Order: sequence, then structure tokens, then C-alpha cells
Amino acid sequence: MTDATQAPVSGSGVTTSSPVTDSDRRRLAAARRRRWMADMPAAYLLLAPVLVLFAFSVVYPLIQTIWLSFWDIKGLYPPKFAGFGNFVTLFNDATFLRAIVTTLLWTVCTTVLSVGAGWGLALLCSLAPKATLIPRVLIFTAFGVSEAVTGYIWLGIYRPDAGGVLNALLSAIGLGQFAHPWLGDANTAIWCLIIAYSWAQTGLPLILIFAATQAVSRNVIEAAHIDGAGPGAIMRYIIAPLSLPGVRVALFINLLGSLRAFDTIYVLTGGGPVRTTETIGFFMFRESFTQFKLGYGAAATLVLLAAVLIISIPAIIQRTKEAK
Amino acid sequence: MTTKTHGMARIFMRRATVAGLGLATVFALTPHSYAADVSGTLVLLDWASGSEQDMIKALEDGFVKANPGVQFKEVNLTVQGDARGAIRAALQSGEKADIFINTWPAFRKELADAGLLKDLTPLWDSAKLGDNLSQSWKDLGSLDGKLYGVTYTFGDRSAMFYKTDTMKKAGIDAQPKTWDEFVANFAKLKAAGITPIAVGAKVWSHTEWFESIYEHLNGVDMAAQLTSHKIPWTDPSVKNTLKKWAELIKAGCCGDAADMLAMDWDNASDAVMKAGTHGYQIIGMWNNDRAQSTDGLKSGTDFNITQFPAMGAGHDDVSSVDTKEFSEFSGAANPAAADAFLTWITTKDAANIIAQHGLASPSNKVDPSLYSAVIKYSVDAVAAAKPQFVMGDLLPGDLVDEYRVQLQKFLQDPSDANIDAVTQALETKAASSY
Repeated sequence: MTDATQAPVSGSGVTTSSPVTDSDRRRLAAARRRRWMADMPAAYLLLAPVLVLFAFSVVYPLIQTIWLSFWDIKGLYPPKFAGFGNFVTLFNDATFLRAIVTTLLWTVCTTVLSVGAGWGLALLCSLAPKATLIPRVLIFTAFGVSEAVTGYIWLGIYRPDAGGVLNALLSAIGLGQFAHPWLGDANTAIWCLIIAYSWAQTGLPLILIFAATQAVSRNVIEAAHIDGAGPGAIMRYIIAPLSLPGVRVALFINLLGSLRAFDTIYVLTGGGPVRTTETIGFFMFRESFTQFKLGYGAAATLVLLAAVLIISIPAIIQRTKEAK
Repeated sequence: MTTKTHGMARIFMRRATVAGLGLATVFALTPHSYAADVSGTLVLLDWASGSEQDMIKALEDGFVKANPGVQFKEVNLTVQGDARGAIRAALQSGEKADIFINTWPAFRKELADAGLLKDLTPLWDSAKLGDNLSQSWKDLGSLDGKLYGVTYTFGDRSAMFYKTDTMKKAGIDAQPKTWDEFVANFAKLKAAGITPIAVGAKVWSHTEWFESIYEHLNGVDMAAQLTSHKIPWTDPSVKNTLKKWAELIKAGCCGDAADMLAMDWDNASDAVMKAGTHGYQIIGMWNNDRAQSTDGLKSGTDFNITQFPAMGAGHDDVSSVDTKEFSEFSGAANPAAADAFLTWITTKDAANIIAQHGLASPSNKVDPSLYSAVIKYSVDAVAAAKPQFVMGDLLPGDLVDEYRVQLQKFLQDPSDANIDAVTQALETKAASSY
């Protein structure tokens, strides 16, 4: 057995061990450094386009946003330096604090609903992959539709007058007494939004998790079958647990998407009624682009960014560890 | 002597030539000849849409026909709702234009304070705009004595749209003149299965009711004081207005709060003009064009307007109005063409184009026979009233948003206790907005 401090030495067909001295280690390290240094220019050259793009599209806007957040900007009036004033105001602003609560509710519900539905459908589809191709494509198509278009589709469903599909349907089946101005009622508006957004976001989890189910070895399933496991047991003890990596990826992507969601909310409720569906993303838009308080909006953006980072960094670290 | 005389003549001739050249140069640079040479590209920052956009296009074509050397270029902003954000974003991102459309006095102030608007007072004098527009239109387009906008259309915002069929169905033969008659008609409308008023409170149009009631109860001077925050939002005039509005709500004017909060102004218009499920709507005069071009209704026959009912508080001679104006940027690349357009917009040709598109022109050169019945009624109503600009458009950006939201809260709960809470919230916001 070779000691950790010993290195195998080859020569004349006999492998022997000899102690590695400090000088050998230094020589090896220097050689590694030289090789690394020699590779550096090529590495940076290859990375340059991405780094330049990253600097322009991410780093520069981020620095600009941080800079803006320290200024009190109202419309086209000259900006005044505010220091951390925008952040202090933000956390004393009842509308913003309410937007945080709404964002939490929105993010948790839309993520759980869309991933839960996607997972369930993926497991069902895994039972008959070929027969469920068309439904899978159709459900994924909804994910491909822009959020704004999704908003308009659901606006047609929820609208309060006779043209609203949901109310018309309720009336047609004799439940007209349940017809309701869904988006005008503060108690129903947020849930209507959550359903609409989750519907559009189910396609991605479905495809990701379905792919994970297809990666499960047929041998494992056949072995379980031979051992007497029925379809339910195979689903519960084999396919569902082995699809979890797909579920984790879907959760991560949909969670970040929900945090940043804006278009559907804008089209369906405009943050109302009485700001009850206003998320941080919508708050940021309203302050920045409707009222043109760019500094205040930038401060809200940074809070949202912090939330995204808090969620995404541990997830990225976890995924990186798994990759090793 | 002769030599001396010839020498003097030469000097005189030289000086006369120099003076003549100088005069010619001065003349060449005067605004009159400057304006006469109208050519090049005129860039309009435009946020109009739908049928209003068609009218703007017709105006551009009319101007180019009169000035063949000019090409119009439009910078179109795709906007849903309040266009100010999009205009600010365009300007801050370096978009260049000569002229733009404005409808918010508060925004005019913001742009003027930022040095972005050209003072049009010299143009008013040199182009004799006063021959076509009355002083009151100059006053409405002015700020601190300087003219920044030439009004090209205006609307009566104290007019209630209704569909004639709907009124017939409810057995209402004559439109109400007084508040009591108006409220008394609710019973007839409701008996016919019609909700008396369509209030589109999803975004902003519910404020129209607050404003017309406020102005009729308190007059234009109080309205001006409130919008400039010389009186607080906790003032009894505001509370009494909300209490009066609460009377309507309690009388079943508008359905549930959720019904109102689910409707934007266009849904409310559909409810009145298309479905006939609701009786009246207060909205801008663009609804006249919308009803004709989109719904295929005939103005004055299929639908009409009636002025806000008299409330008997001594201020029934008031009308809420809105205007749209063209303003010129101080950095306009083609000021000659911009000036020429702002002058042309007041002429007979332009005024008639506006009238043909179903809107009112402030020009005294307009042919009134081109007006539809609704516009004719509204023009006469505004002419006979003390105009008060739409109050929401006079509020600073910060406050206007809160104003809309607090009035939505009022609709959810029109109790006296909530009126106190709503007015207090408005006052708190106002205190930090001016």
C-alpha cells in the first residue's frame, strides 16, 4: 500500500516507492502553475464573449439599479440623493409590506399548484407515454404562450358580464346563483390569478418530471413487477421517488418564475382590487413606470433580487454538489 | 468739391448696401419668414390609439396636404392606461420628437419645470392663434402665464351617456334635470332589471363620479383649492361629497362593489352601450366615437348624453372638462414645422377633421353642422358652464394613484367611519406629494 506521501515511480518494469520531497512538491506545483498560466489566455479568450455579454446585460444594469436606489427621483424632476432613505421608506410603506405578504402567498401557491399538477400529470403520462403524447404537447403549449396572452385568455373566462365563460357556464348548468365578479372581489381575485398562472406554468414541470420518469430503468420496474408489485406500488415506491430530481428542478424554476411574475397580474387585475393582488414585482412596476419614482422602484427591485438570491444560491450550490 | 461729392456718394452707397444686407438678414431671421419655409420631417410622439389614432392620422395628412414639404414621422408609444410613464421613459431614453400629445396639466408642469417644453406665447401672438381660439383655451393650456399647449379637442366630463332603448325599456321619457329626479329614476331602472349606473372602478373611471358631485356641491374654486392642496382632503367638502355618493350606492345605483371593481371604463361602456344591463355612465367624449365606430350606434338616436343633474347647492353651472393639446419640445429639431402645425391645428380645415371624427374642436372656425348630436350637446353644455379640468389630472403622480385606490376602498365600504379613514389616508399621502 502506498503512503499518501509516497508516489509510484515507474521504471525497469518494477514499481517502487520513494519519498516525495518538498522540492518535488514545489516543482510539481510550479509545473501546474505554468500549465495553468499557459492555458489562461485561451480560457479567457473563449470566455470573453460570455463575460462581455454578462457585464452588459447583468452587471451594468445591476450596478445602475443599486445606484438608482440611492436617489429620490420623481418623474422628470431633478433627482435628489437619498442615501438609504428609499429602503427606510420601503419598509415603512404599508403597501410594500402588504405586497411582500401577497408575494409569499402567490409564490407558494402558484409553485405548489403548478409543480403538483405537473408532477401528477407526469406520473399519469408515464403509465402510457405514447398514448399521452398529444395531451402532453397541448399542456406544454400553454407554457409556451406569453403570460400576457394567458392573462387575456383568463380575462375572457373571469369577466363579470354575460360574455364571461365561467359565469356563462355556471348559468348554463343551473348554478347561476354562483356567478360572481371574480376579479372585482378582493376575496376571490388572488385565487383566480393563482389558478390562471398555475395553469400556464404546469407545462414545464410536466415535461421535466416526465423526462425524469422515463430515465427510470425498465429493469428496476420489471424486477419489481416480478417481485409481485402492482402498478400502484410501482408508482408509489419506484417511479414517484425516482422522479424527485425532476421535481426539484421544476420547483426551483417555477419558484423563481413566480417571484418575478408580472404580466398575468397586470392584464387580469392591474394589482387590484384595492391593491390586493399587488406583488413586489407589480409594486416595482407601478412605482417605477406608472409613477416614475425610479429610485424607489429600484429599491424594491433590489429587495426582490435579494429574495431571488436567497432562494436560488442554496439551490444552485446543492445542484453543483450533486453534479460532483 | 465734385471729387468730395463723389466720395460722399460712394460712402453713402456702401453704407446703404451694408444696411440693406443687414436688414435682409434680419428679415430672413424673423419668425414670419422662418415659418413660411416649412419643410423637413416633423416628429410626433404619439400615444393615441383606436379611432383617436385614426383622427391623428387624418390631421397629419391634412397638414401635409397644406404643407407638401413636410413629412410626418410618428414615434408610437404602445400604452395601456396612463401614458405618462411611457412618455417619460421615451424621453429619458433619448427619444427625439418635435411635438407630442398631452392631456394632463400636472404632467405639463413636470415637463415645463424640467425645461423640456417650449413657451408658445410668442407663437400665440405672432400666428394670431387668438383669432381661432378664445382666451379661455389659452388659459387652460398655460402655466404661470406661459402657453405650453395648443388645445385641439375637449370633452364634457360631466355628461352621462345612456342608450335610448334602455331608457325606453325603463319607461323614462325625459332625462332627469335634478338630483332627486335622477335618484327617483333608479326604481324604474331597477324594476326593468337595469342597474342604474355603470361604474368602471377597476382603474380610474370611478373618480368621475366623485369629481362631478364635488364640483356641483362645492364649485370650481373649491375644486381648484383641493387639487392644489390649499384645503386638506379631510375637509368637510370632501366628506360631504362622499356622503352624497354613498346615498347613491345605498340607493342601489351601481351593484356590488365587486361588480364595480371588476369593470374598467370600457367594460362599463359595453354594459351601457352594448348589453344595456346598466343605465348611465360618466366618461369622456371619446366614448361617442367608440359607440359609433365600434358598436355601430347612431349618436343622438341610439344613444345620447345628459348633463349631470342639478344638486341645488349653488354650483350647478359647472362642468368637468378634459382637453388634449399639442405641445412643442424646447429641443425640437424642426421648430418651423412644429410651429406651423400648432398654428394649422386651430384652422377650419383641422377643426372640421376633428369634428368629422366625432370629437369637439375648440376652434371658432369649426363647422358645427359636422358635429354629431352628442358632441353638439356637449359643446353647448361646456360653453354654458364654468369649466373645471378633470381633478385627477391635476393631482401629482404620487397622489393620483392613492386617490383612485382610496375611492375604491370607499366603494367597498361607503360608511361614515370609512369615509373618515379614506379622507385621512388621502390627506396623509397629499402631505408628502406636493
